[in-house]
Amino acid sequence: MLFKVFIRSFFIQAGWNYERFQSLGFAFSLMPALRKIYPDPERLKAAVLRHLDIFNTQPYMASFILGNIARMEERASASADPAAELKSMPGVKQALASSFASIGDRVFWGRLKPMTVQLCLLVWTLGGFYGWLFTGQPGRPSTALLLAGPLSGIVLYSAAAVYCRWRGLARGYACGGASSCGLDFIDWGKLIKRLSAAGFGMSMAIALFAFGLLAASGSCPGRVVLLKVAVAASVLALHRVTRAYGRSVFFAAGIVFAVSLVLFSVFELRPLTLYL
Amino acid sequence: MTTVLRTILSSAFTGLLGLDSVQAGQFLLSRPAFVGTLLGWLNGCALEGARIGILLELLYVDFIPVGGVVPPNGAAAAAAGVLAHAAGGLAPSLAFFIGLAAGRAYAPLEMRLRAARSSWSRRVEEQVRAGDLNLSRWLSSAMLAESSALAAYSLLCAAAAAALAAVPGVGLLYPGTDFAYSLMPWLGISGLYFRFRTQAYKKG
Repeated sequence: MLFKVFIRSFFIQAGWNYERFQSLGFAFSLMPALRKIYPDPERLKAAVLRHLDIFNTQPYMASFILGNIARMEERASASADPAAELKSMPGVKQALASSFASIGDRVFWGRLKPMTVQLCLLVWTLGGFYGWLFTGQPGRPSTALLLAGPLSGIVLYSAAAVYCRWRGLARGYACGGASSCGLDFIDWGKLIKRLSAAGFGMSMAIALFAFGLLAASGSCPGRVVLLKVAVAASVLALHRVTRAYGRSVFFAAGIVFAVSLVLFSVFELRPLTLYL
Repeated sequence: MTTVLRTILSSAFTGLLGLDSVQAGQFLLSRPAFVGTLLGWLNGCALEGARIGILLELLYVDFIPVGGVVPPNGAAAAAAGVLAHAAGGLAPSLAFFIGLAAGRAYAPLEMRLRAARSSWSRRVEEQVRAGDLNLSRWLSSAMLAESSALAAYSLLCAAAAAALAAVPGVGLLYPGTDFAYSLMPWLGISGLYFRFRTQAYKKG
């Protein structure tokens, strides 16, 4: 039963909409459990309708709630007074959805996902490919190396996500009914801090490495190298300023694009090449 | 295989991979770094595909899909960028900026598709009340619509890029777009730095 719920949980966002968010996917994921718990069609129908109500959380963390609710439904089904058992269910569901959304967004979307980009760059660097940074780099890296970069991130990230989905379901089912169920699964606060520190360290290393490569590129005179580093640094400064004004990276990219077009396409200045 | 057939297949493939971003799995198969490299490889330009993909990915690090927010679509961006180069015949630098804009422009369409499903809630309830508990057809319909929309959008972007490439004098843009393109890694590095800097200095 739990395995079927686990497989279906990969589609929890398939019917996402602005009225009830993940409710359709939640009811769909829980269906194998509900079918087993309620052999009576009328009770099954009532249970499905209960779970078509508003629900939204981080998709990987939804497993904790699915397991928890499956256990609560099981208890309600076996109880002499199901209404009393079900009374606390919406509150538990809502409390867990908010808490796990906050944790999941920070861990997966905010940290692990950007870290897969860093991992991709690391794999490419170890393979000797810096072409993402220097568009004129000679030599052609193998397709296997190019694919290995993003795939390494996908494999590691997905392993963490699938682990969280499966263990979360089992954990939720084990401690079902509690509105803090699964929140102590691991020390989320410590994990978030460690991921932030690791990500920041990697970002710094990538930035320093990129500037180092730029400074060491070609056999240019010192002042040309200095100019190249200054242009690159000014892009970082531009992004910092646009962020300070609440603008997205598109705004900064738009400025770079427009200024470059005016200088080098309209006024036909000789462009400074930043690459090798 | 002809360019047209390859473009159609690439668009269809993008539609399938795009499902991964929200609707099915979330294994990051729809991330621009992967979609760009894969489509580049399928279209005989793996290096440019990888470069366009990773640069889009670095810029998209700025956006997080929290609380129902619809971020720019990375799969649409990578597909539009790579196909604008491979099928449209534009320089990678211009193709990249077309991809960047295409990913951003796809977000409102994605919002409309989600909004269109809002009316489903009551219809699903009515169906369940009538005793039909088959919810999978609603989810299949949603996935089919999203996948088809993304595939059609990618194809349209490729066609628009091919039309742009036929415009006389488009080559005059290249010195400007080449320079702007060479600065994008630095903007991406900056995005990566600020994403983690803010978090590292945050409590909790």
